[in-house]
Amino acid sequence: MATRQALQAINTQDITDKSRRDLLLLLEAVRGKKNLVIERPLASIIGLFVKFSTLQEYGVDKLFFLENHNVDSSQRNIVFLVRGENVKIVRTVAEQIRLVRSESKIDHDFTVIWVPRRTLVSNLILKEHGVLGEANITDLALQFVPLEPDVLSLELEDCFSDLILRRDPTPIFAAARALMLLQKQYGLFPRILGKGDNAKKLADLLQRMRSEEDVNASSDPNNTYLTSFALTPSATIENLIIIDREVDFPTALATQLTYEGLLDEVFGVSHNQTEVDSSILGGAPAPQPQSHTGGSTAPAAAATKRKVQLDSSDKLYPEIRDANFATIGPLLNRTAKRLQTDQQNIHKADQSISDLKSFVSKLPSYQAESASLKTHTSLAEEITKLTQSGPFRRTLEIEQNLLIGSEGSTTHEQLEELLARATPLPTVLRLLCLESTLSNGLRPRDFEHFKRLLLQAYGYQHLGTLARLERMGLFVAREANRGYLNPISGSAGQTATDWNFVRSRLQLWVDEVEEAEPRDIAFVFSGYAPLSVRLVQAVLQKGYLLNLVNPPRAGAAGAAVGTGANGSGWKGFEDVLARIKGATVDVVQKGSDADASQARKTLRGNKEGPKTSLVFFLGGVTFAEVAALRLVGRQLEAAGRGRKLIIGTTGVISGGRAVDVAIEKGVFGA
Amino acid sequence: MSKPTADWERVGDRFYRKTQLYTSVFDPDLELENYVVTGAPYSGAVALYRDEGKIYAYRGTQAAKFTIDIHSCAGKLIRQISWDKGRIKALGWSDDERLLVVTDDGTVRSYADLQGDFTPFSLGHGAEQHGVQGCKFWSTGFVALLGDNSIVAVTRYDEPRPQLLASAPAGEVMSWTVIPPEHTSSRSVEVLLAIGKTVYVIDAAECEDRGLEAGPFRHISVSPNGKFIALYTEDSKVWVISSDFQDRLSEYESKVKTPPKDLQWCGNNAVVLAWEDELHLIGPNGAASKFYYDSFMHLLPDIDGIRVLTGDTCDFLQKVPDPTEEVFRLGSTSPASVLLDALQQLEKKSPKADDDIQLIKANLDEAIDVCVSAAGQEYSIHWQKQLLKAASFGKSVLDLYNSDDFVHMTEALRVLNAVRFYEVGLPLSHDQYIRLTPERLMQRLVNRKEYLLALKVSEYLHLPVDRIYVHWARQKVRSSSTDEDGICREIIRKLDGKRGISFEEIARAAFDEGRGKLATELLEHEPRAGKQVPLLLSVGEESIALDKAIESGDTDLVFYVLLNLKKKIPLSSFFRTINTRPVATAIVESSAIDQDRELLKDLYYQDDRRIDGSNLLLSEALAAPDMTAATDKLKMAAKLLRDSKEFAPQVAALEDAQKLLRFQEVFEKDLTERFVGLSVNETMSKLIKMGNMKRAQKVQTEFKVPDKTYWWVRLRALVSRRDWRELEELSKGRKSPIGWEPFYNEILGAGNTKIASLYIPKCTTLTVGERIEMWVKCGMVTKAGEEALKAKDRGALEELRKQASGNAQLDIDRMIAQLQKGR
Repeated sequence: MATRQALQAINTQDITDKSRRDLLLLLEAVRGKKNLVIERPLASIIGLFVKFSTLQEYGVDKLFFLENHNVDSSQRNIVFLVRGENVKIVRTVAEQIRLVRSESKIDHDFTVIWVPRRTLVSNLILKEHGVLGEANITDLALQFVPLEPDVLSLELEDCFSDLILRRDPTPIFAAARALMLLQKQYGLFPRILGKGDNAKKLADLLQRMRSEEDVNASSDPNNTYLTSFALTPSATIENLIIIDREVDFPTALATQLTYEGLLDEVFGVSHNQTEVDSSILGGAPAPQPQSHTGGSTAPAAAATKRKVQLDSSDKLYPEIRDANFATIGPLLNRTAKRLQTDQQNIHKADQSISDLKSFVSKLPSYQAESASLKTHTSLAEEITKLTQSGPFRRTLEIEQNLLIGSEGSTTHEQLEELLARATPLPTVLRLLCLESTLSNGLRPRDFEHFKRLLLQAYGYQHLGTLARLERMGLFVAREANRGYLNPISGSAGQTATDWNFVRSRLQLWVDEVEEAEPRDIAFVFSGYAPLSVRLVQAVLQKGYLLNLVNPPRAGAAGAAVGTGANGSGWKGFEDVLARIKGATVDVVQKGSDADASQARKTLRGNKEGPKTSLVFFLGGVTFAEVAALRLVGRQLEAAGRGRKLIIGTTGVISGGRAVDVAIEKGVFGA
Repeated sequence: MSKPTADWERVGDRFYRKTQLYTSVFDPDLELENYVVTGAPYSGAVALYRDEGKIYAYRGTQAAKFTIDIHSCAGKLIRQISWDKGRIKALGWSDDERLLVVTDDGTVRSYADLQGDFTPFSLGHGAEQHGVQGCKFWSTGFVALLGDNSIVAVTRYDEPRPQLLASAPAGEVMSWTVIPPEHTSSRSVEVLLAIGKTVYVIDAAECEDRGLEAGPFRHISVSPNGKFIALYTEDSKVWVISSDFQDRLSEYESKVKTPPKDLQWCGNNAVVLAWEDELHLIGPNGAASKFYYDSFMHLLPDIDGIRVLTGDTCDFLQKVPDPTEEVFRLGSTSPASVLLDALQQLEKKSPKADDDIQLIKANLDEAIDVCVSAAGQEYSIHWQKQLLKAASFGKSVLDLYNSDDFVHMTEALRVLNAVRFYEVGLPLSHDQYIRLTPERLMQRLVNRKEYLLALKVSEYLHLPVDRIYVHWARQKVRSSSTDEDGICREIIRKLDGKRGISFEEIARAAFDEGRGKLATELLEHEPRAGKQVPLLLSVGEESIALDKAIESGDTDLVFYVLLNLKKKIPLSSFFRTINTRPVATAIVESSAIDQDRELLKDLYYQDDRRIDGSNLLLSEALAAPDMTAATDKLKMAAKLLRDSKEFAPQVAALEDAQKLLRFQEVFEKDLTERFVGLSVNETMSKLIKMGNMKRAQKVQTEFKVPDKTYWWVRLRALVSRRDWRELEELSKGRKSPIGWEPFYNEILGAGNTKIASLYIPKCTTLTVGERIEMWVKCGMVTKAGEEALKAKDRGALEELRKQASGNAQLDIDRMIAQLQKGR
């Protein structure tokens, strides 16, 4: 049963394999040794599915970063692997080709591999620079990158600023293309649900692409007839739920309290890797010399950063990544104890040879695990230092008060204090934005007051920062006639969210959180249940959510709702959705060819098979949300019928990264 | 009915057959010997052009007009291209029947799909100076040999990129050929040049001498599967060697003094030598057979045989396929042959039929398979039928037989017979059909405007038909002389409701014909917004193009249109166009931010977006090299906003920024410390740290910094300066806007318990318990006890007693006693 489930759900390994195959094919097509010029962010994405040694096997001699402008002419073949959607990068490529051509004595062969596709604009720019005819141009359709078997990411690092700040819909298009590819492979999403204006745009785009696909498929000369056949409703995917980040800023702004979330908050995690000062990890290897040399310990060692891989290839990490940080100590402790008993077993004298053999065979994994335990213990220790500090506690207190919905002057006083005490700007901005988004803007008087304080505390260059935050809708003044204040107006909820109503109706605050054995998603923020995930639950766990809000008086009533609720879209929660800003999406996709759909159904067997729900975050997902959704996924799986949850996203976001987009980096007289 | 073996010829131990495909192919007046003839692979079209090196009969002026004629294999004229652009050096075909014409100055014209216009490109790499000597073509590319023996390769036609291969040695090239990339170990094309006595192998990277000594070689040719090479030596010998030059496989002496005009492979196991009207077929081990023709002939090699074209006939020469040989060879006793005999007996109603069946009962399924395959190899419909009937008869005897092959073969044969018909003129063999694929066969039919046949075949084979409709419509647009509305109506009527029609392609055809209006009209029916854009741009409908691009959601397209638009129209109308379209504006903004600030400024000005304009100036102020420039920019930023009341706070902030800079400059001059770049709070803090209380206070009043903030800044600055005296002084104050607790906390955090403790009694808003805690943290348990005593909290005292030691313990005991007494 388990294997069958794995076969039928979206197989993320396939995506990895295909990306690797495609890339290597393209490299193989360039004959002989070659120098590879790669964009730095792309390099770590590529690193997720192919090793450098493999690239070398395919003739890559040297690797250059595009940003370094240091391509040399040591090889005749120069291959650029870059993203073609970014004009600046295209221009850099063109300039470098020109440079190498003019400086080098050999006649070079240039190949440009655009990721994820060749664009018209890139052609235009290469033409303007007079290099279009010089280079062999191909593209690598790298779209979804599986970060984990259940997390697909487009890894668009600029998507938050593109979508929210610049209102540039490029990420929506990229998302639509990637989702389209999934549909081609697994069949149409039978139902598309979503919340938010961008979610609506995405859903519309998917619809449009579907009708265009008919024509595309037929005008592609080397297509096979089967591609159009695939566009019948999928038998494995039940629905697509699109969550627009704009609908739920507070969740992105709040401090994540899961282990992985805190790792991201403290050290920053990108492409499953984090960079940590080696002094934090280096406890074990070099304690002796440090104690001798005293205060002036090797500055070189302190400056070096070490990369830590954070993914499910590690045995320990998957167990602890999603846990609330409060429970990390006991979890690590348990592992440590287990490893200790293992070790004792090994050291036991009275063993038969066969016992010994089995222990020896376990030894490598044992060593890997204890190394990983050491790493994570050091990391957790470092995080603990922070979480127990005064500023962190104060921030958290304000944050939780805001999330509970208690309005009041104390919060403002605390905020003023933070400002006066020169707390790091991102922290303050996160809190201010959190308040603003939770109350649809500050009162104009407060708004101007805080703006003034902020400029005085951090410098007038942040006029730019504030303007950007306002534009993003993160930090604004409340308008007198916001929709929800006037419930009679028909457009209620289209421009603003009625947080008080939503909070009570979806139980966004849970008082009793069992952090060790979480039963509700609120554990990821120690009390606050992220709206985004609640929305997903409104589709997938209607019964659970209704019970949570109105504890069942007679057990029968709740159960009835719970069973009949599947596959009915937003049903039962329309009133809440109407009070949340942004458009609501609910589209049922039917196959264009009824016979084909029928045939497909028959082929798959018309029993209710395992179903997968795809939750797509447009504008980025936080690790806390991933952890919460994994809990939902586990609960769904436990509820039976092999239901699965897969998370898709444009990238990983955190509150820090969200406000950093707006922060002015320039300083007067710098 | 003639026997199937009638045209078989024995060569060594193999049989070859010459099938006459078509007769009366060309006009009898056509002097084929004066023409250069090349045929497209897979029995495709044949292109002829008059060899300029040969003299020909003068036939009046109009005949002297130079043309390239494209015929079908049956001689039907498909297209005539009039030519006036220099000397043609080579003519070749690609797999998809694209005709390539190369002139001696290195210009290449590529004619796609037999109908459309050509796209030109140039070989470059010195082709103009040295001239093109000749070209060799393979399925997807070609190689040109230039006058200076340099070699240029083109490997794709959709985006041709002529590439210079490694340089070859000088010397006269006696003959040359290419090994297509798909057959080389390096996966890139290799060129074989016969120079002097040897052969050089050249690819993109290197040139290698193969060290042969039997040259010079008059002819050199590579077999279709790329495994063998045939060479013709000066002393009239044919050599066949493996393509890695390791093994010599066979040798044949032609004994003819005149060198042959051509040497080609016939399939992968025989070589054909051709003189004007004589043909030697050389099989393995040097066995040979000779064929004689009445007139001049041309060889058109294909993957599984060779077509021989004379003015009168078109023959196909191939090795007799194995199943055919098995069935028909004289005296064959193979099961298939017996099965065919059984059928003939059955038709004669002879009981021998059953005897035959019984004889081969054990191998019957094999016999059926062979009969089915042999049917596919037959050109005669009679024998196709006989063989299929035999197979069918055999099937009826068997209980269990998988008929898939049989069904497929009947389908294939129906299609093959239809396209072999002389008016269509595609004499595909079954092997060629499989290799070509039915889809590409449809393309060829469409190229020949055989729309009805293509539709019928597609429906028969369940292939998509939309390409056929599109092609038809394009042809209609190109050639119809009726008015545009009429054409449009007719096309819409025919294509309405058909799935997956690409109207964009039709519209492009209309545009290329100069029918712009028709193109726009047709585009309206295109379902893919993105596809409409480039064409709309060419027609000059920029703003519609922009709308369509936005509709498609593809920002690349939007950006592309915008770039085109910006070049084309004045800036003011450009802004007008985009400011009603938020997506376009967003894209202009995000692209201009790192490329073109001036554009952005103009945009903000035009749209009256003052805040954005002012912020742009602000960021310029940040980047300014010196303070005067920065202040100027800030002034401009403020000026932009001044006349509107709603921006008052913004203006105030900008003015404060200037003021701060002024202050900081003064401080820098007076105190020789760096201040510029600090915020108001940081400036105050720095001043306090330096002991400049007055100045700090001045800043506070000037910038109206709230008292609370000021107190915090002062507290933290003093603590960081360890200015205990001042802090002690402050504890004597009466009121603090931030309360006294922060003082206690900050000072305690800095480690001075004595000063910290001064503030404990001032924290009157706190509970007794908290204050006790504070005392304890300062290590003053006695004081804590007093606090508890004052509050008469016995429990707390007991608790404190446990923590206390020495004198303090005694004190606490005393207090407990006091408390008891008091009661």
